[in-house]
Amino acid sequence: MRFETFVALRYLVTSRRRAHVALIATISVVGLAVGVAALIVSLALLSGFQDRIRNQMMEKSAHLRVSPARGVRLADPARVRGALAALTGVVDLAASLEGRAWASDGEGVQAPSPVHYRNGARPVGEQGARITGPLAARLHVQQGQTIRLTSSRTRLSPIGPIPVTAVLTVSEVRRSSALDRPGEVEVSEETARLLSGLGEGAGAFEARLANPLEAASAARAVQGVLGADYVVATWWELNAPLAFALRLEKTVIFLTVALVILVAALNIVSNIALTVVEKKRDLGVFTSLGAAPASLQRIYLTLGAAIGLLGTGAGVLLGVGLSLALERFRLVPLPADVYMLSHVPFAVHPGEVAAIAAFALLTALAAAVLPARAAARLAPGEAIRLSR
Amino acid sequence: MLAVKATGLARTYSGEGAPVTVFSGLSLDLEEGVFAAVMGPSGVGKSTLLHLVGGIDRPDAGRVEVFGSSLEDMSAQERARFRNANIGFVFQFHHLLPEFTAEENVSFPHRIAGVPEREARRRAGELLERIGLGQRREHGARALSGGEQQRVAIARALARGPRLLLADEPTGNLDAAAAANVFELLRELHRERAMTTIIVTHNPDLAARCDRLFTMSREGISPSVGLPERG
Repeated sequence: MRFETFVALRYLVTSRRRAHVALIATISVVGLAVGVAALIVSLALLSGFQDRIRNQMMEKSAHLRVSPARGVRLADPARVRGALAALTGVVDLAASLEGRAWASDGEGVQAPSPVHYRNGARPVGEQGARITGPLAARLHVQQGQTIRLTSSRTRLSPIGPIPVTAVLTVSEVRRSSALDRPGEVEVSEETARLLSGLGEGAGAFEARLANPLEAASAARAVQGVLGADYVVATWWELNAPLAFALRLEKTVIFLTVALVILVAALNIVSNIALTVVEKKRDLGVFTSLGAAPASLQRIYLTLGAAIGLLGTGAGVLLGVGLSLALERFRLVPLPADVYMLSHVPFAVHPGEVAAIAAFALLTALAAAVLPARAAARLAPGEAIRLSR
Repeated sequence: MLAVKATGLARTYSGEGAPVTVFSGLSLDLEEGVFAAVMGPSGVGKSTLLHLVGGIDRPDAGRVEVFGSSLEDMSAQERARFRNANIGFVFQFHHLLPEFTAEENVSFPHRIAGVPEREARRRAGELLERIGLGQRREHGARALSGGEQQRVAIARALARGPRLLLADEPTGNLDAAAAANVFELLRELHRERAMTTIIVTHNPDLAARCDRLFTMSREGISPSVGLPERG
């Protein structure tokens, strides 16, 4: 063990002459541990919710979507289908047809609402439609009743051009989620083709992958094959605003809760500064024995690192343990009839824990720099002369 | 060869009040192998002189050469290394580090020099045996008597086999018996290790037993006449 480490660790563990210094050292370690634990639990809570949103994204969104760079129709649908089909890990591949329409109840009693229709990933039946709860409420319809979708596209009739209309049976009313566009209606491919007027071809192709996390590399591969005439988007990019909001939310929570660690760092500064003052004579003695100023500085940097390691280690144990327990034993229940979840979810991501630990350690080390420099600048002769 | 050559030293302390000039224009030559005493009233700068000679304080003017090496021409790192290898300090108050055992205190100069822990402790143990404190090696500094603490401090100062020992009133805080004991130990080790020793003391009896005696006053430092030259 190096001389500096030996001295720093002894300073850390031996009882101090003044009790308040020992108390401040303990507060430094505990403060850092609490800060680290708070940050881990906060991010675990956020990750718990965000993982569920992410899973919903992966479940509901297409994992890859290829659309034309210009226009609304794919120039060569067969080529796009071929490029997607050639990928390994593609479990589902379908043309995507969507557009805007007006929805009203089957009898036309309620005022029409603007909706966005698309052919659903899950089958709805040829004349079926899956609508969201809010839309069902607006139209006053329930499962099994009919709705009428009127497209902005027209067709010629003996009395002139009239809007294309489809009368559909509500096959499912589902709960609305954060991922839904307002007034989204899932219809069959046949209905979507009727409403959009695309008898053949597609506006886009969508694929689902066995492992959605490989979407980015798959997108690069497809883009390489198809070239710049097509836009290839992953499920993360398709939900870009929400994805951005999730990232922003995590960053803001990290920065806010990290203030606790900064407060703990101020404690460390005061603790080490007090130790420097208390051990002024020792510094003079070490200098007389041949210790260089850099060596004295290292003693206090090591002390800061030791406090950082202890506090961070304890904080990681506490935070991870608490988060796992909260998730494992579902300690924060939610009323299932109000929320979609039965309990508040917590998810510990090792990468985030590592980032928090690194941040806490670096902060503790940075907190030691100022007092350590002061130790190195101390006049040793004076320290000895004044400590009689 | 001169062990210490100090030329035109000046030192002023600037604290909260007006600056205090301790001395200026002070010069001192000391031959190698001499056991010298420095006497003088309090406040004339005896301790400051030792600190300047040992390089733990810097003069405002003047130069210090120790065994031909100018301390002023060295960087802080070089001066520290030079001090570790060539200079030992003993203070009036033993200044042992209370968190550490006697052996650990004595092993510090070795550890600062980069000697591995086990070897440093072995050498420290041997030195403690030599000064008759082998059985006290694992005791903390506070568990030792005043005389023992000062002897451990002497062992710490001698750990690296310095050629120059600077002792600042090493017996000033001890009773007569312990003081005589410590002084005798210093004399013995001085002879045994062929060192150059400068001891600051207020005790004329002890000073009279040194090879050379310097007297410090506000006017400077001068060799005292009438003391027998001892070899």
